[in-house]
Amino acid sequence: MNNSDKVTIALVSCGSEYAGIQKELESAASSLNAELVYPEMDVASMDTIGGEFGLEVASPDLRLMMARAKAVVEGVAQVDAVFVATCFRCAEAAIVRNEVRRYIFEDSGLPVISYSFTERTTAATLLTRMEALTTIAKSKHLLAREIQEGLTAGIDSGSTTTKAVVMRDDEIIGEGWVPTIKVLESAEKALQQALDQADVKREDLQSIGTTGYGRFLIGDHFNADLMQEEITVNSKGAVYLAKTQQGNATVIDIGGMDNKAISVQDGIPGMFTMGGVCAGASGRFLEMTSKRLGVDITELGDLAIKGMQKNVEMNSYCIVFGIQSLVNSLAKGATPEDVAAAACHSVVEQIFEQQLQEIEVKEPLVLVGGSSLIAGVPKALEELLKIDVVVPPYAQHIGAVGAALLVSGFVDKE
Amino acid sequence: MSGEDVDEITKIMVIDSDSVLPSDAAMKIYESDVDITIKETCFGTMVTGPRDSVEKVVAEVRALDPNHVFVKQRGFPPGDERRCRASRGGGPRPGFHYLRNEVATLPIISKALDEYETYNPAEKKESPDKISPSKLKDIIESEL
Amino acid sequence: MAKIFIYPTNSLILSDLVERFGHKPLAMMEKIREKITTVGVDSPPINITPEDPKHGLKYASVEVPAGVRGRMSIVGPLIDEAEAAIIVLDSASAFGCMGCARANELTKFLARQRDIPRLEVKYPRTEEEGKDFVYQIAEFLKSLSKEEDEE
Repeated sequence: MNNSDKVTIALVSCGSEYAGIQKELESAASSLNAELVYPEMDVASMDTIGGEFGLEVASPDLRLMMARAKAVVEGVAQVDAVFVATCFRCAEAAIVRNEVRRYIFEDSGLPVISYSFTERTTAATLLTRMEALTTIAKSKHLLAREIQEGLTAGIDSGSTTTKAVVMRDDEIIGEGWVPTIKVLESAEKALQQALDQADVKREDLQSIGTTGYGRFLIGDHFNADLMQEEITVNSKGAVYLAKTQQGNATVIDIGGMDNKAISVQDGIPGMFTMGGVCAGASGRFLEMTSKRLGVDITELGDLAIKGMQKNVEMNSYCIVFGIQSLVNSLAKGATPEDVAAAACHSVVEQIFEQQLQEIEVKEPLVLVGGSSLIAGVPKALEELLKIDVVVPPYAQHIGAVGAALLVSGFVDKE
Repeated sequence: MSGEDVDEITKIMVIDSDSVLPSDAAMKIYESDVDITIKETCFGTMVTGPRDSVEKVVAEVRALDPNHVFVKQRGFPPGDERRCRASRGGGPRPGFHYLRNEVATLPIISKALDEYETYNPAEKKESPDKISPSKLKDIIESEL
Repeated sequence: MAKIFIYPTNSLILSDLVERFGHKPLAMMEKIREKITTVGVDSPPINITPEDPKHGLKYASVEVPAGVRGRMSIVGPLIDEAEAAIIVLDSASAFGCMGCARANELTKFLARQRDIPRLEVKYPRTEEEGKDFVYQIAEFLKSLSKEEDEE
């Protein structure tokens, strides 16, 4: 780090200042005690960078991005992290953005996150990304951890459910899962479930890590050593459980209320999108469907596997109108199996529409979150993307597992 | 920012002259008693002040060697902390790259201006058409 | 004195030649100056606010990236205001305002759509080309003055 705790972030962009979002970028950075800088670079390199990089593009500002990336990689520009940003819906820029991110990540080892913006991008949207970026910059040694050591617990305080795990020497020995009602009480319950199953006393835990919406509240309550946003933690947890900690991976996390699609490299998040504006792309859609079918949510998956999505005509992926379509099709004679399959397909379609537009889908594709346990969902995703989908064990607990894994970095110090 | 309604502008003067040096231009500006500030950079002299004063000084310097002094307005005043290399932590301003290219072309433009009155535009030289496929085929075969 | 739209919009040479031959260059720099001296710079370094890409909708639809529309919100009004245009083709790379190829393509297109006198010349690479370049621009600018005199 350059001085004190201030994180210097190189802004590598083809013109965020022309898209009306510069203020949002700056305010997100400054709220995290970070500073955005334009990397120093050799002006003469502008004329040759296209050929050198092997990517000849028409826009000079994209060449500027490559030159700035090169300056970062070669250490001409001294920075702690890199934020790569281009306009949403620009094909030329999307290609450069992805290649520049990969180049910086592979050749410099610096944390790098990329993003495609519109004029509606707000500081709040950018904040999670910048927070992930600055924490990766500050705690890189922590994120390098691939093995859980000692006796630790992780608690994931999500919007719909609270999950906890207890791990000992790289093994999950207890798990807890409760609906989130009161944040603290639910966390207490989930942790107690995990402790009971592990047959461990709370005072024996060497360290606790928290993540999810309620991470700060429960983190303070449990005196946690680590309170980390869920992008970093879930990425780590997912690739750990799927045993793909090295190289590329794509993590899709379908939660009860929001989704994340994260492009991961060596266990560290690169590009990601977060949902949360559409119930039609969430587990809630599946919950509603199972209610209408009169089955438990846990039975929906098996039902879906037996059904044919094609037998149900859906005019909308919306949780209101889409469910209406499903009900209508039942009246027209569709089977519950077909409806269950159509519901899984619908959720996956909506995730494709909303979240996979901005990230590259690199194999292996790891599907996690509660909805991944509904067998129809991974199947529908495989059909849609034409690739194999990996659902790791404990897929609904990745946040808690990621937190327990990462926080074991604090055990060593004791 | 002044915050007042003074129409303040910045012009950049680039001098490509054997007879006038940037320092001569600077002297000329210092001599004038108008309320302006100047800053010399690697590519030119920046003059900032009220519009009329800047126009007046620029005209005076231009008069020293008209075909070899080039002027354009600049968006940012020199050292503006929103854009300045020092405070933004690095990297030249975007306009710098293009200015560098244009400055390299100035000798050609100066010479053309010197000779403008006597220049006789030659017949338009059309760029040759693409070679026909049959001709290209002949060439390939003869080279093999 | 005619208002001349120049392309590249930040060109020293074009801006200088237009002024030298008695016209007013409609250059990007003046617009940028306006932007950055607008009270309360919300969006450093250039005061392009989220509203500007919306003004750009006049020139390109919402499916066109925000950075293109933001740039068009600066350059578009210059094209609207122009009484004549000089477009230099094939010039070296320019950055920033001129750094997006898509915005540049649209800029040239819109300038060509206007029913105004227009000159398109190639960026000079040799002395000979330089003479022709200056000659063509000078004659074009002078012809505009003549038209004005005749009116």
